[in-house]
Amino acid sequence: MSIQHHPDDALLSAFAGGTLDSGQHVAIATHLLACARCRNFVRTMERVGGSLLTDVPPAPMSSNAFAAVEARLGEAPPSRPVTPSLPEGETEIPGLPKFVRRYRFGRWNWVAPSVHVRPIELPEPGQTRVFLLRSGPGTRLLQHSHTGVEMTCVLAGGFSQEQGHYGPGDFDLGDESIDHHPVVDADGDCICLVAMQGELRLAGLLGRLMQPFVRL
Amino acid sequence: MIQPGRRIVILVMQQALLCLDLPRRTSFASPMPKAPRAPQRLARMQPGKREPAEAPHWEVLIRAIAADQDRDAFARLFAYFAPRVKAFMQRSGVPADAAEELAQETMINVWRKAALFDAGTAGAAAWIFTIARNLRIDAYRRTQRGIDATAAEFEFELETDDAMQPDAAMIAKQDQTRVRAALDQLSAEQLRVVELSFFEQQAHADIAAALGIPLGTVKSRLRLAMNRLRDLLDGQS
Repeated sequence: MSIQHHPDDALLSAFAGGTLDSGQHVAIATHLLACARCRNFVRTMERVGGSLLTDVPPAPMSSNAFAAVEARLGEAPPSRPVTPSLPEGETEIPGLPKFVRRYRFGRWNWVAPSVHVRPIELPEPGQTRVFLLRSGPGTRLLQHSHTGVEMTCVLAGGFSQEQGHYGPGDFDLGDESIDHHPVVDADGDCICLVAMQGELRLAGLLGRLMQPFVRL
Repeated sequence: MIQPGRRIVILVMQQALLCLDLPRRTSFASPMPKAPRAPQRLARMQPGKREPAEAPHWEVLIRAIAADQDRDAFARLFAYFAPRVKAFMQRSGVPADAAEELAQETMINVWRKAALFDAGTAGAAAWIFTIARNLRIDAYRRTQRGIDATAAEFEFELETDDAMQPDAAMIAKQDQTRVRAALDQLSAEQLRVVELSFFEQQAHADIAAALGIPLGTVKSRLRLAMNRLRDLLDGQS
């Protein structure tokens, strides 16, 4: 199954340049794990970074800088912090980068009929919330848009919306201008990793009636 | 690689790294607190005076560190790269003192990680760039968590994710020489825009003001430059 929907080049460059916030970083990394093509574009942008690094007019280091560094070469590298992994007995979630598995995961919460979310706690505060979204077969998610940017990467199963079908590894970016109207595939649950800023806005009368009850 | 059905190009272009210019700047957070920018901070890169980007000796020096803990090799790498990493940090908005510390920390990581360097995967400069970038991300995240920004307890994770390694078949297509060649094919203005936005993480609106050109021109130049690099990756250039 090949990946049809990718982050665009500017977003991949932002990843390579290290300028995404940590939640968005997680979403792009999740896509990259599945997508060799985007991974290689990120590598290329890192080479662009390397070229620019060699071109930048140097800023003189302090006079004792080398001595200070040399004195530390024998030091043992800092030990890695112990970070939690998925609680024992949890179902393994496919398609998550290793470093995400070390984050703290909340519980699955019901948000709407046959829709559950599971928050992922990032190590530092940021603008972006990250969570897993699990939707039952055939779920027709209410048409919605966003007050901020929403990145979605499919981990398992699939859904369809106006732009086509999305399967494992596929990436979707939504913002205020996009009305999503996704329908989950009939043959199984769909699990996505979502990095969301702002709030969800449900469209239509039903959506407005539902809004107070959708806990997202 | 324009995707069929991709419909978000314009908004993404307005918001992604390269464009932090809208009122909703928080959409894509700029990782480093920005120092006040004086116009002269837009000082030119030196395209005319480029060292060969991937002069083989950098890679040889890194291997010498890995194999023999060669301090002379390290000293030569330090002399060349430390001041450039410091400049990179400062251009990203990091104050001079912190930039100095991050540059030192970058070089210490070069020493420690030399054995992990794979010349087939990344050129020396790209490799050092990623170390510096990751330390900058770490430093920013630590400041967000209120932890001393000089503590080195937190290591950027993605590097260690085996699955993040590129596919061997693609590597040959993206060697540093070709990336360099593509950069050299950009017009001076395009190159400037790429440098400013990618490397210095400067808002596009700031770039437009600094260069005295309309915002739309910044974006179109950037897009052209990105297309060129994408062509390079796809082997069409």
